[in-house]
Amino acid sequence: MGLEQFKNRNVGTQNYTKLDLPRSPVTGWCKFKQVVSRTLSGELFVGLGVTMRIMVQSLVGGQSHATLYPFEKLPISPRYRAIHEMLRLLESGHYRCIGCGLCEKICPADCITMDTAYDKNQRKEVTEYTINFGRCIFCGYCAEVCPELAIVHGNRIETASEQRASFSLFDDMLTPIDNLNLQQEYQGFGAVTPNADENIKKTPLAY
Amino acid sequence: MEATMLPEVTAAGIIIKAIIVLAVIAGLAAFGTYVERKILAYMQRRLGPMHVGPHGLLQLAADGIKLFTKEDIIPQHANKVIFSIAPVIMAATAFIALGAVPVFPDFTIPFIDVYVPSIASDINVGILFVLGMMAAGLYAPLLAGMSQANKWGIIGAARTAVQFLSYEVVTGLSLLAPIMLVGSLSLVDFNNYHADQGVWMVVYQPVAFILFLIAGYAETNRTPFDLLEHEAEIVSGYVTEYSGLRWGLFFIGEYANMITIGILASVVFLGGYNDLWIFPGWFMIIVKIAFMFFLMLWVRASWPHIRPDQLMWLCWKVLMPLAMVNILITGFVMMII
Amino acid sequence: MSQINIKIDGQEYTTNEGEYILNAARANDIFIPAICYLTRCSPTLACRICLVEADGKQVYACNAKVKDGMEITVNTPNILKERKAIMEVYDVNHPLQCGVCDKSGECELQNYTLEIGVDSQSYSIPDTKRETTNWSSVLHYDAGLCIVCERCTTACKDMIGDAAIKTTKRGGAALDKGLKGAMPKDAYAMWNKLQKSVIAPSNGTEFTDCSDCGECAAVCPVGALVSRDFVYTSNAWDLKRVPATCAHCSSGCQIYYETRPASIENRDEKIFRVTNEWNYVSLCGAGRFGYDFENRVEGKDKIAFAKAIEAFNKAEVIHFNSTITNEEALMLQTLKEKKGVKLINREARAFQRFLNCYSKASGNSLYTTDFKEVMASDFVMSVGSSLRNDNPNARYAFNSVQKMNKGAGLYFHPVGDNLIPSFGKTIETFAHKVGHEEAALLMIIKLFADESKLPSSVKEQLDTDFVELLGGDTEKFDKAMVKMLKKKENFSLMIGEDLYFHEKAENLAKLIAVIEASSDVKVAMIPPKTNSLGVALICDLDNEASGYTIGYNESGDFRLSALGDGDLDIPAMNQQEGTLTNMHKRVTPTNAALEYNGYELNDIMGEILSAPKETIDWTAYLPTDRGFKAVEFDSLPNGYTNDGTENRGYLLDTTSTDVDEVTVDKFDDGKTLDGDIAYRCNPQRQFNDFSDKSHQIFEEFGLYASASKAESLGKRVIVEFDKGNLTLDVIVDERMEGDIVAVPDFKSAENIYELFGESRYKSVVIREV
Repeated sequence: MGLEQFKNRNVGTQNYTKLDLPRSPVTGWCKFKQVVSRTLSGELFVGLGVTMRIMVQSLVGGQSHATLYPFEKLPISPRYRAIHEMLRLLESGHYRCIGCGLCEKICPADCITMDTAYDKNQRKEVTEYTINFGRCIFCGYCAEVCPELAIVHGNRIETASEQRASFSLFDDMLTPIDNLNLQQEYQGFGAVTPNADENIKKTPLAY
Repeated sequence: MEATMLPEVTAAGIIIKAIIVLAVIAGLAAFGTYVERKILAYMQRRLGPMHVGPHGLLQLAADGIKLFTKEDIIPQHANKVIFSIAPVIMAATAFIALGAVPVFPDFTIPFIDVYVPSIASDINVGILFVLGMMAAGLYAPLLAGMSQANKWGIIGAARTAVQFLSYEVVTGLSLLAPIMLVGSLSLVDFNNYHADQGVWMVVYQPVAFILFLIAGYAETNRTPFDLLEHEAEIVSGYVTEYSGLRWGLFFIGEYANMITIGILASVVFLGGYNDLWIFPGWFMIIVKIAFMFFLMLWVRASWPHIRPDQLMWLCWKVLMPLAMVNILITGFVMMII
Repeated sequence: MSQINIKIDGQEYTTNEGEYILNAARANDIFIPAICYLTRCSPTLACRICLVEADGKQVYACNAKVKDGMEITVNTPNILKERKAIMEVYDVNHPLQCGVCDKSGECELQNYTLEIGVDSQSYSIPDTKRETTNWSSVLHYDAGLCIVCERCTTACKDMIGDAAIKTTKRGGAALDKGLKGAMPKDAYAMWNKLQKSVIAPSNGTEFTDCSDCGECAAVCPVGALVSRDFVYTSNAWDLKRVPATCAHCSSGCQIYYETRPASIENRDEKIFRVTNEWNYVSLCGAGRFGYDFENRVEGKDKIAFAKAIEAFNKAEVIHFNSTITNEEALMLQTLKEKKGVKLINREARAFQRFLNCYSKASGNSLYTTDFKEVMASDFVMSVGSSLRNDNPNARYAFNSVQKMNKGAGLYFHPVGDNLIPSFGKTIETFAHKVGHEEAALLMIIKLFADESKLPSSVKEQLDTDFVELLGGDTEKFDKAMVKMLKKKENFSLMIGEDLYFHEKAENLAKLIAVIEASSDVKVAMIPPKTNSLGVALICDLDNEASGYTIGYNESGDFRLSALGDGDLDIPAMNQQEGTLTNMHKRVTPTNAALEYNGYELNDIMGEILSAPKETIDWTAYLPTDRGFKAVEFDSLPNGYTNDGTENRGYLLDTTSTDVDEVTVDKFDDGKTLDGDIAYRCNPQRQFNDFSDKSHQIFEEFGLYASASKAESLGKRVIVEFDKGNLTLDVIVDERMEGDIVAVPDFKSAENIYELFGESRYKSVVIREV
């Protein structure tokens, strides 16, 4: 594909209707006439009227779009990508992360690192896990690629802190064990689709 | 009112007046920022500052503290002397202009018996002085823009020179007609003219009033003519490199100029500080100035900017000829009557 | 081997006659799926996925040989059905733990499941519990993941020779007989076997009795066999592969150091494992597990460097060993030429002397055969080398000849060994007396030489009954020999370090020349240590020297050491770039896997003489008159092509000139050692200080003896040499036989070469402590 084709973003059939606009004034006299007509037509005062009306409405009628942010928060979309959280298994309380390293691999900012080891139960243990939030671009790939729905984006959008490090360790991201019953299932990228069952074939089982 | 009835104007009285003007106008300028933010907010269905103090009233104190305690930064390649002087010129010219403007009614301080006049210095060319002082204010943005070794500053300075010089002409010409009617350059005479006539100047000179307003907005660098520091094009124009206290001086200067224009418009066209019906003169002048100030904010909330070329076109091809025509007509009418 | 033409999918290709279809296809870059087949091993027919159609008949590509004009179709609808069924069966009950599996990302089961397009499962059977076990100090076997392709057992048997693991029964549900007709035939047969089998140590215990080479883990297509140290520590895609050459012994095997940052806290690169091109080269335990011998330094130690310069300026002797690159050997030789220092390297000196005698006698600048040719021969002999310990590649070659070429072998060595006879049924071993090496060579001459070509000085010595002399039974041997020589065409002889460290080394070298000149036997030499061949070719070595000595990884008055215990730190082999000359007469490049921020020999050279910027800038200046080529380091390849051609570095040029008839000394059968004899020989997997430093190699420095001898010796003994004593723990080596004990030399600090002098055998007195 050539650059020109690439740049042409007019996809599909083009059904543009041209507005029947008068020509721009060319001569000084025409321009003057335009100024006079626009000045005297009162359009400017319509604008003034609108702003005045709005002011009166918001002062007297209390119509306002503002939220008093720290005291009043708008709900966040489930697909919003805020600071990460690590979820636990609801049954056992064990962290869901299996240390497969897919998030580490897919991360375009290369900000996820993990150390794993063979533990005494013959399982893969995640000994350490960090996200460098100085580099994270919150693209959500990690949550999308995670096969266990372990790493997800939470709803902590207020991330002012003296140190980024206070978000980035495994324990900081992990659901506190006493809040396990409050753990929310993530609805965003990588979550199971509502019709997932219809899209897979069942594996035969012998027992 | 007869001059002989007034007590003697002493130096102490004038100094007190100057201090009052300085303090009150500076305070008002700061308060003006709060008012502007609030009004713009309401006009856009927002709330504006709400957190510091009740309804954000103490926001200006917070801003003041911030401005005064900010680090004073002078860019490496700037001309340091001029860079430092420029904001002072801005504030100084704005306040000196107020020296020849009647601001509050006169009064006598009890016990020490010091008479404080309504005008610090009732010079007989008051209006000329005010216009001259405001014109001198041009140097502030010009020097500021040129001294800071920043391309946005340079562009801002260039626009300053063009815009202020051009609209100076319109201001002068638009005021010429009222001056012809009054026959004096003293603002006190203007005020008295209203009282004598019983009708506001705006009735005789509507065109001059409108021209004066437009030119005044251009001279105070207000929307729709705020091209000197137009963020979308030239970052902050001549104040790009300024911060902290120096930037604050520009800010106060701008708001002081807005008040000056408000006072001028009130005194020259809108009846000055004369009593109206049951309202006393001091109240009326405050109402008028407040309205003029509010009008600036209202316009800012409603109308878009214009382009620099449109600005020049408007000045030289529309406003200036209109002002000339207005003067001619006024002159003819005066000859006939 | 003649070339023939075949057609694969309608396309004409040329290939060698007698090649398997699979190998012919691979050599021509045609993909035929195959799981169980290993290039240098015999076909096992376990996976049956390499099914192709040849001349209208379905055959297994790994097992069927090409014929001239053969027309092969890789995919037919029926074959595709079979393959899909086979992959589905492999996926039955295979644990869905790719997320944690170490093989994920380089797993052949994953790859083929995707390649063949298994998107649903049609079969099922109840699963059997299969335990995860550790077979040895390095091997971790997860039976649940095992697909019983038998690659590990095949490699262990055909390549390594240990045959330490085998397929055993696992129990579990039997297949539904109804499936037999219902599913594709080959898939059913494969499943039937898979369902019954699991891999286990072949000695019946829980632990393998082997040399811990880890080759089984390397060839495992899934995550069933993994090194214990690597389990769950990293992922295939995280590791950066650095192509290198193993520097533990003279095999100079191709390896990849696989590195990544050590941990979250420590971002320095660390070697996590060593892998190899297992289709074309087999590693030993030292190569695979002895990788963490790097010398980590904080930075450049200027004070130590200044002292080193001072030391080099007053140095009279440089004492070094063969764990050194060609480039650095050239630097030392330059020092000798410019500053007149003496160079001491005992093992390379002995080899150099032997090579020179051989060249003089034969006219060949270097031995004529490499070990690839030995591997291709069908009658292999070994003299003067403890094959099991000295050089893994020589041992693999000996084994491979028996297994793959239906070959026979003769093994002459004073130290009895019970592993070698287990390589094949047609192997005769001679545990001859120490000092009878000449007799062994004479016996080979007697067996194989064309008498008309023999010099008279040899001819007159052949009357002796050498079989008897070397401790064999003449009658039995003659009978066996008839059988062994049947259908044999290629004869090869490997000779080892015993002959270089020998009183009569010169005479032995002449006999070697005689063997080559008068018979079809091709002779290959095993250089004693890593780069002994390179050092022997590059440096003029001195026999004895005294004075102020600089030790390069050796003892001396000023020590440069890559072990971190010297006066100036230098980089270890996995931190260096350079070339090594291996026993295949190949100059192979090696690369730095880990960073080194200290000083290296080139910096010292730059300070006292002049030197180019990098060590590898010396590569092009290696002596061309000794066979090296003036090639820049960066242009040296390091890999294998699809048909198995070794494309690493370059081969040394060898020249040959005509020579006069040699005169050999008369063999004196009375010159043997008596009493307790110590043999300078390392345990398996130990070669030098670096293998010793590696945390997965833990064979100790002690007195190795056969079980019976050890019993008579006690636990801890003093070994009295004529030049000094050693106090050592007695360690039983189950593979050893006879009374000779082995004293390792891998610790340079112990100065074992001093004790043994110019011989590998010494009469000693052993007393229990």
